[in-house]
Amino acid sequence: MNGAQAMIQCLDQENIHTIFGYPGVAIAPFYEALYGSDVRHVLVRQEQNAGHAASGFARISGRPAVCVTTSGPGALNLITAVATAYADSIPLIAVTGQVARRLIGRDVFQEADVIGAMEPFTKYRYMVRRADDIPRVMKEAFYIASTGRKGPVLIDLPIDVQQEELTQPFHYPEDVSIRGYKPHIKGNGQQLRRVLQALKAAEKPLLCAGGGVISSGAQDLVRSFCEKHGIPAVTTMMGIGAFPSAHPLYYGMIGNNGRSYANKAMSESDLLIIAGARVADRAMPNTRRLEETAKVIHIDIDTAEIGKNIGPTIPLVGDLRDVFQRLLDQELQLDTSTWREALAGWKDAAVDHRVHSPRLVDPNTLVQKLTARMDPDAVYCADVGQNQMWSAINYEMKEGRFLTTGGMGTMGYAVPCALGARMAAPDRQTVAVCGDGAFQMSFNELATAQAEGVPMKVVVMRNHYLGLVKEYQDKNYGGHHSGVTLGDGPDFGKIACAYGMSYYEVSENQALDRILDRFLQDPGSALLVCQVDDVNNTK
Amino acid sequence: MKGIYSVLVENRAGVLAEIARLFARRNFNIESLAVGETDRHDTSSMTIVSSGDQRTLDQIEKHLNKRIDVIKVRRLEERDALSLEMMLIKVAYSVSTRSQIMEICSIMGASILHLSPRHMVIELHAAHEKIESFIDLVRPFGILEVQRTGTISMSRK
Repeated sequence: MNGAQAMIQCLDQENIHTIFGYPGVAIAPFYEALYGSDVRHVLVRQEQNAGHAASGFARISGRPAVCVTTSGPGALNLITAVATAYADSIPLIAVTGQVARRLIGRDVFQEADVIGAMEPFTKYRYMVRRADDIPRVMKEAFYIASTGRKGPVLIDLPIDVQQEELTQPFHYPEDVSIRGYKPHIKGNGQQLRRVLQALKAAEKPLLCAGGGVISSGAQDLVRSFCEKHGIPAVTTMMGIGAFPSAHPLYYGMIGNNGRSYANKAMSESDLLIIAGARVADRAMPNTRRLEETAKVIHIDIDTAEIGKNIGPTIPLVGDLRDVFQRLLDQELQLDTSTWREALAGWKDAAVDHRVHSPRLVDPNTLVQKLTARMDPDAVYCADVGQNQMWSAINYEMKEGRFLTTGGMGTMGYAVPCALGARMAAPDRQTVAVCGDGAFQMSFNELATAQAEGVPMKVVVMRNHYLGLVKEYQDKNYGGHHSGVTLGDGPDFGKIACAYGMSYYEVSENQALDRILDRFLQDPGSALLVCQVDDVNNTK
Repeated sequence: MKGIYSVLVENRAGVLAEIARLFARRNFNIESLAVGETDRHDTSSMTIVSSGDQRTLDQIEKHLNKRIDVIKVRRLEERDALSLEMMLIKVAYSVSTRSQIMEICSIMGASILHLSPRHMVIELHAAHEKIESFIDLVRPFGILEVQRTGTISMSRK
């Protein structure tokens, strides 16, 4: 058995049956071993999308997903997707081919220092120097990617290591022992008692759920905790889905583009529980003030998140499932009725300052009507830009998933993410929603979906602008629209036709119900273009 | 504030670069960094001296700990730490200045490793501050070259 065959064996051991990739010479032995194996290889149309598709797959399957590229340019194209997964804490295994060991460092054809280049964007990296190391490296890589704070792990495989015969019979290790990696799972008991003390003394407690609540699978526990103690909740963008939209304790998304009453709840609360959020500037721009006005409890599995952007009163490191299970076991007798009344009042009194054009399709209405019609457990993949803000604000969460890149904000994410998500759950309704800018960054993956027989539903909000930058220029640069005009082309109907998709177009709100029904009920792949007036804005 | 970190790491290619990049990427300061193998070939020890406010020094410790190739981080209090730095310094001399320099060496505990007709190579291992003073003392004679190891530290406890 050679190194490449050992890689396939390891994938089998990890129950990986689908991988996303793009071959080249430096990874050819791996592709040779793949040939005739049980692993399904999905040939993407650009390497970055192999990473995004794996991200969608990982988020829906709840396990690390694998993407593969060749050395040099192939690996370099993958970086943006790996960095996106890193920022969003998505478990990926990125396998890249590398030139032969003896040539490393000589600037030969398609050689790049991928380990060095990806160091800031990966949880860990392996340069495999012996085929015998492959089983251990793969076992460790899957373990590191999927435990603690999840994230991408890179495996750089020189071509001659892929060809090298193993000197020992293949054995996949059962356990992992890494001296420097012992994730803190169990929350510290003393800190937990401090949290309870603070909760008991709180009059205006608020929970802010981040993406960690979803990646740890703690949604039910966090929800039950809030319900048991009457604690209202808000979420960050990555935390969308932690609460159903209609939940009586849920007050929406915070941040620059969030709900005004959610932000007011943050600034008025006297005890803020931040669960699995990294407290980035778009979500919480004014952390200094929060430190002064509220006691802050920061719960995260990543010790280094504590104190990075906000100085918490009570830090608590641990897995959210463990922490909230133990918090749930406690009796607190909180009376938050006055606080909740105030919140409900702010919600009712909230004023929408955004521009809503009476022309064409209102993007807010579009997302509301679309998500109201989607299956309760559907997957909604939101891209980046104004469309992301409209999606995040108006998405109606039932039992589904809202997948977007809140951390890195990488345009072009939605289409490949939806492809991966759909492949992880072929029977689950999946819809990608993009703007016309982002769509044009990755619609080439519609060819992948077509070739793989994966039905895709893609909604494009079309306003012929890079809308979020245009909006920024309107506010900050006197309306100078510099470099944001997309023009009139291309003909999206022809694009749909070229990729074998049904095409729908809607340019008035009155037609939305009818067209959305037809679009969602279409048995195959379908593209829906919604004409949106460019004066609509997000805040 | 000063932060002294004694860091045990996997003795693997790229780990030093990774730690150095961590400091650069997160805007942490490195005043000195010394690294060498421990009694085990698979483990290296680093002493990193940094500075910053309390929050920054805490973050440095946490981010070091987060690295998978970092086995253990100890933050040393200045008063509990035995710290030492080594220096080789090449100083020019003439017949008239030679004895003055030798006197400084003798007071400071430095030794002369090599004597040429026009310059001498002096070795000094001492605490950081003492090394700094020595440099100031011999500066008037003409410093030709300086090599310093950076601080290594160990807890007294």
